[in-house]
Amino acid sequence: MKEELLVSGRQNLNIDPVLHIWHWQIPLYLFLGGLAAGVLFFAALYTIQGKEKQYPTAVKIAPIIAPFALVFGLLALFLDLKHQLYFWQLYTTVRLDSPMSWGAWTLMAITPLSFIWSAVYIKEIFPNWDWKFSFLNTFEAWCRKNIKIFAWIIIILAIILGVYTGILLSAFNARPLWNTSILGPLFLVSGLSTGAASIMWISKDSAERRVFSKIDLILIGIELFFIVHLLMGFMASSKVQIEAAELFLGGEFTVPFWIFVIGLGLVVPAILESLELMGKHIPINIPAILIIVGGLIFRFIMVEAGQVTRYLY
Amino acid sequence: MGPLITQDIIGGQWNFVIAFIIGIGFGFVLEQAGFSSSRKLAGVFYGYDFVVLRVFFVAAITATVGLLFFSYFDWIDLSLIYVNPIFLKSAIVGGVIMGLGFIIGGFCPGTSVCASAIGKIDAMFFLGGIFIGILLYGESFSLFKDLYYDKVPVDKMVFDALGISQGTFVLILILIALAAFYVTSLIEKKVDKVEY
Amino acid sequence: MENKSTKYMNPYLAGVLLGIVLLAAFFFAGRGLGASGAVKDTIATCVITVAPTHAENSSFFGKYTKKKESPMKAWLVYEMLGVLLGAIISGAIAGRFKLKIEHSPKISSRTRLIAAVAGGMLFGIGSQLGRGCTSGAALSGMASLSTAGFVSMLSIFGTAYIFAYIFRKLWI
Repeated sequence: MKEELLVSGRQNLNIDPVLHIWHWQIPLYLFLGGLAAGVLFFAALYTIQGKEKQYPTAVKIAPIIAPFALVFGLLALFLDLKHQLYFWQLYTTVRLDSPMSWGAWTLMAITPLSFIWSAVYIKEIFPNWDWKFSFLNTFEAWCRKNIKIFAWIIIILAIILGVYTGILLSAFNARPLWNTSILGPLFLVSGLSTGAASIMWISKDSAERRVFSKIDLILIGIELFFIVHLLMGFMASSKVQIEAAELFLGGEFTVPFWIFVIGLGLVVPAILESLELMGKHIPINIPAILIIVGGLIFRFIMVEAGQVTRYLY
Repeated sequence: MGPLITQDIIGGQWNFVIAFIIGIGFGFVLEQAGFSSSRKLAGVFYGYDFVVLRVFFVAAITATVGLLFFSYFDWIDLSLIYVNPIFLKSAIVGGVIMGLGFIIGGFCPGTSVCASAIGKIDAMFFLGGIFIGILLYGESFSLFKDLYYDKVPVDKMVFDALGISQGTFVLILILIALAAFYVTSLIEKKVDKVEY
Repeated sequence: MENKSTKYMNPYLAGVLLGIVLLAAFFFAGRGLGASGAVKDTIATCVITVAPTHAENSSFFGKYTKKKESPMKAWLVYEMLGVLLGAIISGAIAGRFKLKIEHSPKISSRTRLIAAVAGGMLFGIGSQLGRGCTSGAALSGMASLSTAGFVSMLSIFGTAYIFAYIFRKLWI
């Protein structure tokens, strides 16, 4: 009999960093999930506060993005799966310690809710909309009456969804760049900020825009703080983490990270929004597009860079 | 000490991040100075606005004097600074073509980017023109090749070429600039203002 | 008339600031500023992507295909990206954002656009022959006290002055 001793997990397939296991689908999915979470969060928040009249875009119009973002995100996720016909098996188990399980169930709940939310307010976008069947009208009226309950459920699910887009990565403990709990709040804040930017972009009401400009500025500040914290945490950690951080500090991801994510995606829109708040006239699409594209690139970089980092030598 | 990147004191991709930040400064100052308006730029050729001359001269002198002082304090090694090679004939012919382009198009490449950024449509067309021009040049490079590499022996540094010391040259340059600022301010007063 | 929001910076102050930016470029990167090089790099990248064999055989684009890294990674490309943003920020502060075609009242917008494209083409060709444009060859070249910089500056501005009279209708 031949005995074999395994002293490490090295022999496991794909445990060494292999790039291009995750292609464009995962970062796109993480981005769309974050965007949907952001948009729904603000819609629910202002409904709970009873400020629908003050923030019509946030509550009634922008949420229409969410179902589309979620469906396309799930489609991207589905395309990434190897055994696509077995996706339903995600729903045969509930594992509290698995972020994938959390995510799957959250998405399962928030996607239909986002459809319902959009449907309730669809007449605000298309005034001539007609539900054709009376029971749908009854359902809409019932939803409208209980909209606050919906809002409470959605706001909780949106936060879980936003955090989950980051935690999904942190659960990979073989990839030092991802294996940090700060990714959860970081991705949540980034998702909220892309959501706020979208609302600001769509809104035609100048008071509402100003509020979302301010919200965005605060979120950008928090995001920068988290990013600094992330890098500082890595630098104060062990060799592998330091090497992971160095990908962004002179390594191969320095340019995309500092120019496109920090520069174009956060600092420049922050400057433009501050100028706007100071009363300068700025085409609103510039900061909005910069923030949204910056959020997308950020996820691409995190997913790409994370796959290069490793513990094993 | 400097130049930092050339000597690998700042390494890797930081180079490009610094390029980006310096570019922001460049674009910001150009736009603030008014280089995003072609009619303001063209003013230098018709005497109604000499902003180009002023900014250009002051900037060149500031940088030159700065480099001299940096070198004096040993902050920078001037021998590592890139000095444009001199190919006299192609520089003159190229300059003539660019001069024509300037008076017809009203921008130069850097200012056209600035002007495009704030929504000048003519600048965007100018930028498109540059693309076409460089593409044409690239495709017909064999025609220009002899001229491009034709080398007339001239000293690389301008003060050597003129046979004076570096310090004297900078001093003369500053005096010329001061005279130019004075004369142009007189001209500006005489020439009718142009509204743009 | 100029109102407060569209007022430009004092040219001498702007000159000093531009000089400091230029000095910073020399101090960090050991090279001056530039603009046309970024366009050249972009074109080279496009040509290499669209027609790789053509690029390899071309005496002009050929030298780019031999380098390992993409020409888009060049210093000037990132610098120009910065220029675009710097101008946007400045335009935002000054309130100068406006889509418009600026031209002399004596000519139509169409004429202005045709002249702009023609001027751009000339500048494109000239900048390649002259090894840089107003920023790269003339301004940075002058700052580093190179003969080439002064020759470029004199020939660009000299020519423009000579032909200014012919094209005066475009501007005044």
